[in-house]
Amino acid sequence: MLLETIMKRRSIRRFKDQDIEEDKIKKILEAAIWAPSAGNMQPWVFVVVKEKKNKEKVKVVSPGMFDLPGIIIVICRDMEIAKKSGNEILSLMDISMAAQNMLLEAYDLGLGSCVIKSFSQKAVQKLLDLPKNILPELLVSIGYPDENPNPPKRREKVVHFEKYGGRHG
Amino acid sequence: MVVDMDKEFFELLCYILTSARGLMDEPKMYGPFRLVDTASRLISILEKHGMADNFLKRERGKIDEGKYSVMESEEKFREFLDELILDFTEELKRD
Repeated sequence: MLLETIMKRRSIRRFKDQDIEEDKIKKILEAAIWAPSAGNMQPWVFVVVKEKKNKEKVKVVSPGMFDLPGIIIVICRDMEIAKKSGNEILSLMDISMAAQNMLLEAYDLGLGSCVIKSFSQKAVQKLLDLPKNILPELLVSIGYPDENPNPPKRREKVVHFEKYGGRHG
Repeated sequence: MVVDMDKEFFELLCYILTSARGLMDEPKMYGPFRLVDTASRLISILEKHGMADNFLKRERGKIDEGKYSVMESEEKFREFLDELILDFTEELKRD
C-alpha cells in the first residue's frame, strides 16, 4: 500500500484553481514534523502561504514554479539549530525527509505536489519577513492536480548486494 | 491595460533576474529551458494584449507542449529547440 503511494506519486506542476481543505493542510504539516531527524534536532520551520497575492509574489521570484498552486509551504532551516549539530549537511537531509513525508501525505489525500529548489532564497526570505537565521530551503507547491504526467524511467542497476557489483541470490 | 502590461513585464523581469542568479548553481540544462520558457512568457504577454500574430501564437503553443522534454531526455529537448529555430528561420525567410 505504501509502496503503491510512493510509486504513483508524481511531481505535479499544473493545478486546478481549487482551495485545499484546512484539515488536509494540517495533516500534511503533521506528516512533515514527524520526519526522522539527525540527533532529533528538528531544524525545520514551515511557512504556509495561502493568500493568492502572497503566492503570486513567491511565484514571481521562483523560476521553478510554473503554476499557482493551492498553497505553498516554504520549508526553512533554522540555522541556529543546524549549527549546533556540528554538521549542517545533516539539517539539509532532515528537511528533505520532511519534504518527502509531505509529498506522500499530499498524494494520499488526493493532492498533487512538487518540490522546488529553483527560487531566489534572498527574495523569499525578504518577502516572508524571515529572520536572518531562518533560511528558506525548499518550496513545496500543493494543490489539486490538473495534469497526470507519466512516470519517468528509473535508472537500473543501482542496487548491489553484499558488495558493489554483487547480485541477489 | 498599460498597468497590466507593466505588471506582466515586471514579473517577467523578476523571472529573468532570479533565473540568472539561480542558474549559477543549477544544472546546465536549466539554462536553455529558462530561455525558451522566457520566450513563451513573452509571447503570452503579447498575446494577451493582441500583439502576437498567428505564427507567434502557434509557436507559443509548441513551446509549452515541448519544453518539459528537458526532464525526459537531452536529445529530445535538443530536437525540440532545433525545430523551433527552423520554424523561426522559415518565418524570417518569408519576406
